[in-house]
Amino acid sequence: MKLKTNKEKSKIKERSKKADEKQKNILEMLQSHGAKIYDDLDNGQFPKFSIPSRSVSNIVYDKKLRQYILGSNSALRSSRNSSQLRSFTQLMWLAFFANRLTQEKKSSTLRDVYYSSQAFAIEFEDQSESDNIIVDLEAVTSKPREDFHIFPEERSSIFGDLNIEYTIPGYEGKTMNLSNHPDGYSIGPSLTTAELVDTSAEIVIAIEKGGLFTRFVEEQVDKKFKSIIINTGGQAPRSTRTLLKRLHEEMKLPVIVLTDGDVYGEHIAMVIKSGSANAAHLRELTVPDAKWVGVWATDIEKYKLPTIPMTESDIKRCYDLQKDPRYEDGIWKKELDVFLRLKRKAELEAFSKYGLTNITEKYLPQKLELAKSL
Amino acid sequence: MSLIKEKFNQISPSEFFYSNRDLAGFSNPTRSLYTAVREFVENALDACDQKGILPDVHLIIKAVDPEKSDPKPYILTVKDNGPGIDPEHIPLAFGTVLYGSKFGLKQARGMFGLGATMAILYGQITTNKAVTVKSSVDGKIQDEFELLLDIQKNKPVIIKHTTKEVSKKGLSVSICLEGDYSKAGNKIRDYVYETSLITPYASITFDDPKGEKFAHPRFVKDIPPPPTIIRPHPHGIDVERIRRMIVESQFEIPNIDDAMIEKVRKDLGLSVKNLGFTAIMEKAKKKWKTLSRQVRVVIALMSFLKMDFEKLNKIKIEDIDMPNKKLFYWDFGESQSKSIDMNPESPYFKQLTNTVQGEPLTTFLTKRFQRIGPTTALKFAEFAGFKPEKRMGTMSNQELVNLSDSLQKFEDFLAPDPSCLAPLGEEPLEKGIKKFFNPDFTAVVQRPASAYSGFPFIVEMGIAYGGDIKTGGPHVYRYANRIPLLYDEGSDVVLKVVNDTDWGRYKIKGDPPFIIVSHICSTRIPYKTAGKENVADRPEIERELRLGLQYLSRKLAAYMSKRGQADMAKKRANLYAKYIPLIATFATELAGRKKEPNYKKILEIENAEKSQTIAEENEVENK
Repeated sequence: MKLKTNKEKSKIKERSKKADEKQKNILEMLQSHGAKIYDDLDNGQFPKFSIPSRSVSNIVYDKKLRQYILGSNSALRSSRNSSQLRSFTQLMWLAFFANRLTQEKKSSTLRDVYYSSQAFAIEFEDQSESDNIIVDLEAVTSKPREDFHIFPEERSSIFGDLNIEYTIPGYEGKTMNLSNHPDGYSIGPSLTTAELVDTSAEIVIAIEKGGLFTRFVEEQVDKKFKSIIINTGGQAPRSTRTLLKRLHEEMKLPVIVLTDGDVYGEHIAMVIKSGSANAAHLRELTVPDAKWVGVWATDIEKYKLPTIPMTESDIKRCYDLQKDPRYEDGIWKKELDVFLRLKRKAELEAFSKYGLTNITEKYLPQKLELAKSL
Repeated sequence: MSLIKEKFNQISPSEFFYSNRDLAGFSNPTRSLYTAVREFVENALDACDQKGILPDVHLIIKAVDPEKSDPKPYILTVKDNGPGIDPEHIPLAFGTVLYGSKFGLKQARGMFGLGATMAILYGQITTNKAVTVKSSVDGKIQDEFELLLDIQKNKPVIIKHTTKEVSKKGLSVSICLEGDYSKAGNKIRDYVYETSLITPYASITFDDPKGEKFAHPRFVKDIPPPPTIIRPHPHGIDVERIRRMIVESQFEIPNIDDAMIEKVRKDLGLSVKNLGFTAIMEKAKKKWKTLSRQVRVVIALMSFLKMDFEKLNKIKIEDIDMPNKKLFYWDFGESQSKSIDMNPESPYFKQLTNTVQGEPLTTFLTKRFQRIGPTTALKFAEFAGFKPEKRMGTMSNQELVNLSDSLQKFEDFLAPDPSCLAPLGEEPLEKGIKKFFNPDFTAVVQRPASAYSGFPFIVEMGIAYGGDIKTGGPHVYRYANRIPLLYDEGSDVVLKVVNDTDWGRYKIKGDPPFIIVSHICSTRIPYKTAGKENVADRPEIERELRLGLQYLSRKLAAYMSKRGQADMAKKRANLYAKYIPLIATFATELAGRKKEPNYKKILEIENAEKSQTIAEENEVENK
């Protein structure tokens, strides 16, 4: 192995310092919350804190930030109120648990959290109750759960010429090039927290489906179009959205999104671009400059793609999205209207009608060209 | 013509019941043993009730041969401390079917006292043993009879009759019958247990064949007021009943023999004095008000015959034809039949008419029914299309049917008089429930009297929750006229009403420990079957049950919500005790401190506040 130059060494140092600092901030914040509650108890007062309200009426669209955010309403959660006492304790436990995870640099899945609670006599009825408390913690701290080392189950992956450097315990300083394994690398805690060192790519292509991801790797889309390919596995998980945001901001790469030609595909692209109402309490998950390049409703006619009829729920989803302020104008509104007119949809695989490589050789280049003007 | 002559035999009531014993609940050894127990225990309780005696009833069942397997002969003995039965009536009362003392219209457990005789009959059929009856009416002398029934003749056969000195009043009946205690035992024990709940003023003991003794001492010292016998209500009547009442209301023309003439002379104060016809009439007019009906009829006849006592002695009345106003008589002296015309204007004519043709309709109605006064009687006559003065004795069959129908349909009669009913009363019922179940909550209600088809009834109900009551409620205890109903509960109207209730609405959830007691009192319980086990769903009865149950359920709901609040307060206190220390532990580690915060203070605050709220609540309640 080639020895690292001094310059590189100092870079590594700087990077790990940055990661340490982030961790320190998290721990300090948790400690200050804990101290406040400790003091309340010690002074004979029922501890309490306020949580931004996540009710529908408090979720508003911020045009400047181009995402949904929480309004100014907040709810007081008090240990004096016997009906809140249980969830108060659950939240306290979660903060305590996140504190340990962060200090020990261990990661945990949502399901782990649910089971871990049982060791402390904190009963969650089911995982959805514990998931909900995790969102509470995010809302109180305005930090995504990944910062507390809590991750969802992974199903998305990445491939392309990108060098990263791990920061997780046992791998600190170790680097990796993400084009070494043709099945791609799954986007988990180690990848999300890794430092992005350098890349030769000029664009990130997020694609909805694993099948197409494999085809793109086979057809060397990464080399032909100097790109990093990411499989979102349907709706992109938050760790994947975090990574997309970092690729865009830290590596200055444009992001384009390729989905099935239906209303759900359109919305997958929208969530990458401007987040979901569910995560309105968080602000580090969006790539406002991401571009949806297809498959558009108009492509169905233009490329004469084989289609299948929309279901009742597809159509209902169209009408729901028409009420969303983000679908009020531009390509978003136009394509939604066409979907409603056609009442038909097409999958990415539909291009196979014209040969397996048709999508990479004909469709993709045209769309990449088009993206520049979007 | 056929040579074979059809033979028509009259069968006796005993024979009829012998061949139809299923009807009375004697279908198999299990059911028969249970039914026999019921009949004797209920007779004993009825006898004591009628005389206002606090009942002591002893039930003993013994196997004749304990080693034998069921079904086998058992000796069943029921002793009471009631009034006993006069020795002269005993053979008929226990040795004849359809001889009873309960034919009057009032509430009693049994209707006619038939069941006991049926049990005796069943015992005799299955074991060929005599019934032993011991009775003392004065507490000094006891008569002991051994009796068999002559089934064909419906007559008692006295096998033995002895007397001896005793110190207690009461009746003891002992029969030998084929039974199956291993199967009937549960029901009999339940029956005794449930009977003592609805008869809290009775002491009941039961010695069972296995040597176990069950004692249910009385825990209420007062007997509920006894019912009175009353006249029937017009809505509860049929043609046959009217016919019988007419027969009762008509009087026969007295046989004018020497004894009768002597009686008339005596009543007129003429025993030793001989007066002429005119003088006798004068005397009779003066004394009219004091004369008996019979004597009046004789005077009336004399007035038309224009005879003195001497002449009267020599004739015999043959016929009185009221419509043609003719009187026929046989003259012994002249040996021929004679007739005279009667003057309808004579006041004596009416006297005879009453006797021969019965009472006028309005008199019949007002005198023989409850709830009918002269005004109502006139209104009814108009409604039914009868002349008010129509004589009952002159009604044709069709007219009787019309009368019966109209009595059912006429709506202006007042509701039946409930004084013939004997409900247990709220207080004894509540005491009984409390003693039997030791519940956390009890409520009872007695509904006002109501009526169905002319029969008055009263519904009493009780509800109880918690305590010794088993979960899986509601457990329903059904009673009718103080008899527990144990069989066939599925089709009973009480069960229907209970099952229709949405208990969730009354804050009763899960597997609740609660019981419902229902008691229907009526001069006639509308049983669905002859076995007296389930009550038919008459709308009037169903309505009263529903209202009663709703009232009780609301009371229970109020209790449950209070109980819920108390539980909640306790739960709350536990919540704080559980969670605050956990919060302290987590906060300590989060804050990076070593010592846990002093959280005891807020737990104390919480406790103090809680006791204050409870004190306030109690204060409100006391007010």
